[in-house]
Amino acid sequence: MFRRVLPSLRHYSTGAEKPSLKLVAELRKLTEVSIVKAREALGASNNDVQAALEWLKADMVTSGAKKAAKVQDRHAGEGLVSVAILSPGNGPKTGNGVRAAMIELNCETDFVGRNELFGRLAADIAHTAAFMTEPADFQPYSVDMLNDTPLLSAVNPNPDPTATVASAIRDLISKVGEKVALRRAVTVFHEPTPNLQHGHRLISYLHGSVHNPSQGRIGTLGLLGLSSPRLRENFASKEFCDDLERLERSLARQIVGFETRSIRSEDETALYQQPFMIPGELSGQPVGKVLAAWAASHGLEAVDGQEGLQVLRFAKWTVGEPLEA
Amino acid sequence: MALCRAAVGSLARVSFTPACRRTWLAPVNLVSRRGYAEVYSRSKPHMNIGTIGHVDHGKTTLTAAITKILSTRGGAQFTDYAQIDRAPEEKARGITINSSHVEYETATRHYGHIDCPGHADYIKNMITGAAQMDGAIIVVSATDGQMPQTREHLLLARQVGIKRLVVFINKVDQISDPEMLELVDMEIRDLLTTYNFDGENTPIVMGSALAALDGRDDDIGASKISDLIDACDSWLELPARDLEKPFCLPVEDVFSISGRGTVATGRVERGIATKGTEVEIIGHGDKIKTTLTGIEMFHKELERAEAGDNLGVLLRGLKREQLSRGHLIIAPGSMKSVKKFQAQVYILTKDEGGRYTPFMANYRPQLFMRTADVTTALSFPPGTPNPEEKMVMPGDNVELICELTSDLGCETGTRFTLREGGRTIGTGIVTKILETVA
Repeated sequence: MFRRVLPSLRHYSTGAEKPSLKLVAELRKLTEVSIVKAREALGASNNDVQAALEWLKADMVTSGAKKAAKVQDRHAGEGLVSVAILSPGNGPKTGNGVRAAMIELNCETDFVGRNELFGRLAADIAHTAAFMTEPADFQPYSVDMLNDTPLLSAVNPNPDPTATVASAIRDLISKVGEKVALRRAVTVFHEPTPNLQHGHRLISYLHGSVHNPSQGRIGTLGLLGLSSPRLRENFASKEFCDDLERLERSLARQIVGFETRSIRSEDETALYQQPFMIPGELSGQPVGKVLAAWAASHGLEAVDGQEGLQVLRFAKWTVGEPLEA
Repeated sequence: MALCRAAVGSLARVSFTPACRRTWLAPVNLVSRRGYAEVYSRSKPHMNIGTIGHVDHGKTTLTAAITKILSTRGGAQFTDYAQIDRAPEEKARGITINSSHVEYETATRHYGHIDCPGHADYIKNMITGAAQMDGAIIVVSATDGQMPQTREHLLLARQVGIKRLVVFINKVDQISDPEMLELVDMEIRDLLTTYNFDGENTPIVMGSALAALDGRDDDIGASKISDLIDACDSWLELPARDLEKPFCLPVEDVFSISGRGTVATGRVERGIATKGTEVEIIGHGDKIKTTLTGIEMFHKELERAEAGDNLGVLLRGLKREQLSRGHLIIAPGSMKSVKKFQAQVYILTKDEGGRYTPFMANYRPQLFMRTADVTTALSFPPGTPNPEEKMVMPGDNVELICELTSDLGCETGTRFTLREGGRTIGTGIVTKILETVA
């Protein structure tokens, strides 16, 4: 059926031995590169899959960049917010140090946004940002800097040592053919201090998760401050820890579910003024009051002017939302 | 025609109000004439079809090519790329975002054609009824082969209940080695099978939509588009038409007419019933067998009630109190009365008139289905992690379990809305029946 077209095109094929279907299929399974590219790679490396992988890696730098340039001007308004928490703060055996990051990775359609490769990359980038950050208190982490950072993976113990965040994004672009871009990142990192009366906890909730509960379309990362003259004893109780985690999840959900812009101001967009959506008898009461009541009933109390339990900071993002100037 | 239909509707509704109950006794000497609100010929069965594929693989070009090829046979109006890709900002970007409707006719069918821009967008459109696909064309470029997101395309088709697909491998003129096309074919058949489609028998057509559009290379252009159209005609299954389905009349109002009996009015949702037909009344805890002893529309007695008619029916031996709004009059045994079902629901955003705030399990809004309204408890399907802490936000597409305070006749595919305090907060479609009334 292609008789008329094909002879004229044959001239462009490489002179080397023609790659077999099986090898092209195998290379595609390994790399998910396009059919044309897989064939070219095998053609250029004498049908040796290992050599073809090398060839692809080298080629990705130029052809991937070309592909990325081609889609550069398109609009990427879909994607994921992804959170990585490396140290959540106080626990039965841990001190008050916290380390985490939240990133937004964009693509063009939610088909790609729901794809596993995309989710994995978003998780790895969040992990990288959390791992690499200097001491920070919810400051934006430079996207340019993060792009040049070697990519660290939370799940893959042997990542490609030469891969950077930018090169991994470029590789994904050549696989999915859509613009993929890192839009923003925020990090929090407090070194542990020997202070036994003031603790920290990180809270997070991602709404609209498909595969991974730490990724979604709307997400928040927040920091709680806990104070008590006997903080270590509080955390030694399993009941205390379980209750605290439940409260933390409710708080993070509250921030995402309601229009939350601040913590303590006077209007309804302030977290402390909102009716708390929490299962149980405290439901519907203002968040600020619930926090105070919870602290009192769980042995937390003000120390050095720091309330027993308070929300110190939070960041809340929605995929594709306009950024503040 | 449409006007005539509306008039029939409103008159049918008043014809059974107590003030006009005498109309039942009026002599019937006019030949009943029925109005149909048709804008195109119903001689061919209709089907909705959609294109799903990667942004650069040529869905819009293919759609344009189909209309072009069919326009030469008088089955379509040629719709060029720019017209399909309507909105200016989309045009500037060269990709399609909103689903735009195109229609065409083959030798045996009439098709409505949409483009499927994204997962969430389509699910929302489907639930709200704004767009529907009974079958789909998966578009894959021969140069790239299937891509990682092709899996997500198939998952979407699966999720929305599409059983059969047709695959179009586009841009084959850019492939030098026909063996590579075999590989594309092989891979896509594998993937289809993985996602429970019939990978072996699914038609895969290879061609170039652009060649067809440009009117060159007929053997990979126009003739392949024809093949694709034929494949759609022969492989994609027609949804059952309303007339062919079992009779169903949702009761809107009930009257008692002295000397005649109890009359129920409403709009026939589907099927056909004639005078003397055995029917069953279900819903609100009831299951009553009876007979249609009379059918009247627009002050005239009818022999036959069919889908779309606004009419009243006289029911043998039934008391006024036994029947109420929300009951269904159906062909016996064709539907069950349901107490609990699973549904795919879209929760309206604040801007769409919906809720301002999220909700969690055990929220109890009003559920409106056909003419019925009952209170429903909402919960999450088994397997939902931490269901007591799951939150649903305005704008979400979500699977929910609805447990009704009073049972209603319904089945998979029945639509409903959720309301609270006079505000529509969600709209849904039944996906699985979980508990029926015996």
